[in-house]
Amino acid sequence: MSYTSYKDNREFIKALEAHGELVTIQQEVDWDLEMGAIVRRVCERKLPALYFKRIKDYPGFEALGAPLATYRRLAIAMGMDPHTSIPEISDEYVRRTTGTPIQPILVDRKKAPCKENILLGNDADLFKLPGPMVHDGDGGRYLCTWHFVVAKEPDTGMINWGMYRQMVFDEKTMVGPVLPFSDMGKMFYGKHVPKNKPMPFATVIGCDPLSGVAACAPSPIPEDLFTGMLMGKPVELVKCETCDLEVPAHAEIVIEGEVIPNLWIEEAPFGEYTGYRTSPREPRTVYRVKAITHRNQPILTVSNMGVPTDEGQLLRSFSLGLEMRKLLESQGIPITGVYMLPESTHHMVVVGVRPAYSNIATQIANLVFGSKLSPWFHMVIVVDEETDIYNKDDVIHALATKCHPINGIRKYEHAVGTPLYPFAEPDDRKWSRGAQVLFDCTFPLDWPKADLPIKVSFNKVYPKEIQDKVLKNWKNYGFKD
Amino acid sequence: MPGKEYDTFILTDFASVPEEQEMELIVRDLTPADRRYKYRSAYVTALVSKSESKYPDRLWIRLGRGQLQEKPWSIKILKELNKLPKD
Repeated sequence: MSYTSYKDNREFIKALEAHGELVTIQQEVDWDLEMGAIVRRVCERKLPALYFKRIKDYPGFEALGAPLATYRRLAIAMGMDPHTSIPEISDEYVRRTTGTPIQPILVDRKKAPCKENILLGNDADLFKLPGPMVHDGDGGRYLCTWHFVVAKEPDTGMINWGMYRQMVFDEKTMVGPVLPFSDMGKMFYGKHVPKNKPMPFATVIGCDPLSGVAACAPSPIPEDLFTGMLMGKPVELVKCETCDLEVPAHAEIVIEGEVIPNLWIEEAPFGEYTGYRTSPREPRTVYRVKAITHRNQPILTVSNMGVPTDEGQLLRSFSLGLEMRKLLESQGIPITGVYMLPESTHHMVVVGVRPAYSNIATQIANLVFGSKLSPWFHMVIVVDEETDIYNKDDVIHALATKCHPINGIRKYEHAVGTPLYPFAEPDDRKWSRGAQVLFDCTFPLDWPKADLPIKVSFNKVYPKEIQDKVLKNWKNYGFKD
Repeated sequence: MPGKEYDTFILTDFASVPEEQEMELIVRDLTPADRRYKYRSAYVTALVSKSESKYPDRLWIRLGRGQLQEKPWSIKILKELNKLPKD
């Protein structure tokens, strides 16, 4: 079954505009900090996406800022009503992505707009693209902030699309962190570096919105198939110019090249998704460019990581939480839902459960902390079914009242972490070491029923007939809503 | 004609930066002839001084998390190094 989806960002821009989710800026904007500052303010105030029509020094280029930084825009990307609730978007996402994977189809290069301009040799110059200086103090121009890097596992041929930030070093060189536990890190450091063999890559900028959503998702399903599941139809790919990789045919810009083994260049600092500039400037993975292809009048996508909420935080929270939901459901845990708060910069997940047996919260934490998802978050809050996991006030109330300060907290030491954790010791950041914690907000099952505290809320402590009467007369009492 | 401007990230104690002797570092060009190339990085050998007036070009200093220091140093670039593989 095919769903309403957009084959490229141009169609998505029109949809955003039609739903009042786009501001078009005709005035010329400087790529050097001004564009980043505008996008940052939009993220912090949860305003519509931005369509920059004129970029200083780069006539002919345009940019789309903060394309998916709200649930409204995610709903539009999925072909849903922008007012769809988070639980409904979540259910739809899980439904679409638990079916049969949909293989991509290969299209002829003549039908691939991303081949409208092909730059090779000296023409493949990264400074011909309007990579923004996103934040003052960044280590360089981050051309790739909302994009994905395509790589292929050399033995299985399995494809990975992942969002690995890339900073422009010089005309032909980009550099960025590729953590060893990431999918591309396993391919590169596990398979190519030991043989001192470069790894082909293709960076895709300005893909259709669902390909971007798929690239954020920590699913075991390869992202080119996962995109098809989200769309309900195959994503159209085209062969690269210089390597045996395939990229979305309707992308705006594609950068092809090789990841170089046993060579590192200093990268960072960068304003990161945690809302801080945390990870140290240090030697990181090097990408050498062989070709750039782009559409006519190409539209660069620009995300601006910082304090919530940007699309990295929102979509990573969304998909991490829902992969956890799939994992817990596959194990038969009687959960009522999983919600990772974007405001936690995908560090904190709330799991709702029917406490069917003792220590169920510990079992949940052991499962999610033991999975491949675990380096990206470190706090699990388990609540019972009377807490609305999507309601921050309700979750904070449960945390503050039901979690015993000693018995309800379990600490997990010696965890895998990332260099981006602001709370981590400098040496732990360097070695990607972390720690994790469970907050068990369920009452112990062995407490006598008579001793169980009763939640005092409108829905809980009044008879149904009183609730109905009050609701029926609400406006008569003088309230508007 | 005013000199060019560069910046660099100093990740060690300032006292350990060798002054007035040839050293290798990464600099970013802040004043290229073609503005599209602003922030282009390069490995160079250069002479560096904490005095703003010692050498012809200005060198702004940033710390590891991007903090810009108030007073610039000066730099004389001797050579750009090609440390990257040829295509």
